[in-house]
Amino acid sequence: MSTLLILQGFAYGVIVGAVYALLGCSLNVLYGVLRVVNFAHGEFIIAGTFVSYVLFNALHLHPLAALPIAAVSFFAAGWCLYYLLVPRLRTADDPELSSFLMMYGISLMAAATMLGLFGADARNISYTFQPIAVRLGPVFLPTARLVALALSIIIGGALAWFFYRTLPGKALRAAIMNPEAIQIVGVDINRLSALAFGLAAGLAGATGVLVGLVFPAFTPFSGPDYTLIGFIVIVLGGLGHPVGALLGGVLFGLAEQMSTVFMPQALSPIVGFALLIGVIFLKPSGLMGRVQLR
Amino acid sequence: MAALELSDAHVARLRIWMWLAFCGVLILGLALVPWLSRNISFWFYLMLWMSMASAFNIISGFAGYLPFGYVAFYGIGAYVTAVLVRKLDWPVGLAIPLAGMAGVLLSLIFAKTLKLSGIYFAIVSLALGIICQILISNMPEEITGGSYGINLGGSPEPVHSFYAMLAVLAATLATSTWVARSRLGTALKAIRDDGEAADALGVDVPRVRLYAWMLAALFPSLCGAVEAWYTNVVDSTTAFDTLITAKTVIYATMGGLGTVSGPVVGAAILVGIDDLIWQHFPVANLFLLGLVVVLLIQFMPRGVVGTLLRRKPQLRRYLM
Amino acid sequence: MLVVDGLCKSFGGLVAVDGLDFRVERGTILGMIGINGAGKTTVMNCLNGIYRSDAGRVSFEGVDITHWTPHAVARAGIGRTFQVPRIFRRMTLIENLLVPMLKSGESDRALTERAEHFLARVKLQVLRHNFAEELSGGQQKLLELARVMMFEPKLILLDEPFAGVNPALCKLFIDEIEALLASGTTFVLVSHDLTSIYRLSDHIVVLNQGRKIAEGTVDAIKRDPVVVEAYLGA
Repeated sequence: MSTLLILQGFAYGVIVGAVYALLGCSLNVLYGVLRVVNFAHGEFIIAGTFVSYVLFNALHLHPLAALPIAAVSFFAAGWCLYYLLVPRLRTADDPELSSFLMMYGISLMAAATMLGLFGADARNISYTFQPIAVRLGPVFLPTARLVALALSIIIGGALAWFFYRTLPGKALRAAIMNPEAIQIVGVDINRLSALAFGLAAGLAGATGVLVGLVFPAFTPFSGPDYTLIGFIVIVLGGLGHPVGALLGGVLFGLAEQMSTVFMPQALSPIVGFALLIGVIFLKPSGLMGRVQLR
Repeated sequence: MAALELSDAHVARLRIWMWLAFCGVLILGLALVPWLSRNISFWFYLMLWMSMASAFNIISGFAGYLPFGYVAFYGIGAYVTAVLVRKLDWPVGLAIPLAGMAGVLLSLIFAKTLKLSGIYFAIVSLALGIICQILISNMPEEITGGSYGINLGGSPEPVHSFYAMLAVLAATLATSTWVARSRLGTALKAIRDDGEAADALGVDVPRVRLYAWMLAALFPSLCGAVEAWYTNVVDSTTAFDTLITAKTVIYATMGGLGTVSGPVVGAAILVGIDDLIWQHFPVANLFLLGLVVVLLIQFMPRGVVGTLLRRKPQLRRYLM
Repeated sequence: MLVVDGLCKSFGGLVAVDGLDFRVERGTILGMIGINGAGKTTVMNCLNGIYRSDAGRVSFEGVDITHWTPHAVARAGIGRTFQVPRIFRRMTLIENLLVPMLKSGESDRALTERAEHFLARVKLQVLRHNFAEELSGGQQKLLELARVMMFEPKLILLDEPFAGVNPALCKLFIDEIEALLASGTTFVLVSHDLTSIYRLSDHIVVLNQGRKIAEGTVDAIKRDPVVVEAYLGA
């Protein structure tokens, strides 16, 4: 077992973790503001990957150019989807669980649609960067992955700026902290929620493009894998806590990639799950969150 | 309004007898299926889903938990049966009850998660279900057959497993009826509506919800066991498919969580619709199932029976 | 009957209850007052075990019940109501009343009759088959009272019983409390509303920032300059 492999695993862990962090972050924006746990998030992401795939194959568009297109179009779609799906949920007995189940329905519909459009075959975006890999100290890293890491950091930074420096961002943070109070002080919660839904969907679209760069292949049925990873990330970090999601994402990415160094590939998901269960029992509210137990 | 005034005790008795009569007719009708219908498979799966949905209702409708990894119990039941029958040459009649026990054992292992609530519990449960799948498919091939699964061997008679499923359904319905009428059911509903208040009124919350959890784990394990016998083959992808959990949840919700009749009605309606969809639009099957879920949550979150009870308060005392 | 000795509870860095001592005599009403955030509800939650106190002892009828779970405390004979009514919303009123009696040896029929009796006392018998969520806020408070009366606790903790209850229902509420008092039940009554407390209590404890700042009879508290200062601002 060489140090080289471990370093390699560590580097991959950080890269994959950054993508997971974005994934968790968008889930948490949604949960924080709307109390909707998006079971269809993985499908949103894979749909973003397919957008990038189609743009590349049909128009030879660079994946980096696909990113803003995916983000903006998904933002608009999310905005509409909010008004279509969410307002009625508020009357349910348990809006959180109802939304969870409803988004599962959406995930089935999305996966079936993608299956109808693209078939069940595994795809990949065959764009290659020049040079194909970069040497960083002793390890070689694929350029595509490094680009994805850079983009994740840029998007993360932009998010932080949005949340802490702009008025709508501050309103969103306030809504996460106290959804009732924000209505009293005169914020239109419907518009704010639509913004949150759009933002989460847009982020998911962008994340999907990054997924196309980082992971070798995807199919219309890859969605649930990412949904599950997203769930683990947000539970690790604390539900509804955007910063916690960043931490949870990197932690999970590291655990997953490092374990492939030491264990058979098929068992490596277990490590992530073990991490989840450990955190749940030691600190049930997640690393940074607060949650009510009963 | 009411033409004749019945005393509360009379109404309560009428209510239970009406429900038992309905169950009796249902079980009897199903018992005749092998003579009347050539399509045993449809009826077999109808019973399976009624049973799954009713058992799920005990932990979800009564106790208020949403275990999205519910399929773990089903899968473990299927695998225990397959391993016992195929690898250890046990008779099926002995393997199936043991599979049920294995499910209950698994529920005890997961019992600590009951401390979590709401969406947290749902997510953790989902993860646990998937862990079970990964563990089973990575066990040595001599035991669980790896990712290929196990063929039970022999040439089973579908009618036998059909009647085994009927027995499981009858037992599930009896249990769910008993829970609803017992003090256990009252305690569970209290925990669902406000666990802390129930605790402050002397309900031993951890113990009561554990009972519900164990009951809710027993029946899916039996369902998985009988289904393994029926299809004669078990593999980790289908035995631990999240879609099984989802269908259970959807069917139970369609009828109305928290009512005894709801899951039965919901399963009957949706298994029927599902069958029609499969026959006429096999390609769009998943899409339409998803659509049904979305429409259901949007327009009838309390399900058929639940909505009926809400709209027509006078029916509450007559419907289980 | 109830002796609280050096009770402490803090959340993170915030000290909610700080070394509180008091005792409640059998068959009396202890009023506990204090402005919002004084720690009243926290004390309640520590007494019945919803919170685990950090230090101090609680004993009830000579038995140490510190750190008991809420259901054990309830079975020892301490009932409570909540500041915001916590009814079982999707259960009928009768079922709501059965919840505290699930461990009793009485038959279902006898229990149902008792539930109807108590519902009649708080004028809710007509609605007995309705779901609790269909009641008004004031009615929900009465349902809570009937529910706690069901198991005939020796001590009842009432948390802000009159908040949001209209005067007619309030009178009904007070009548029931006085009837229970006459039959030997003991109360701890928590409120920030002085009028009702002064009217009902035998003895009053005044809290401010988790500490007891005064204690005594109604007359003594009314005249205590420390209390006036805490209420009217310092």
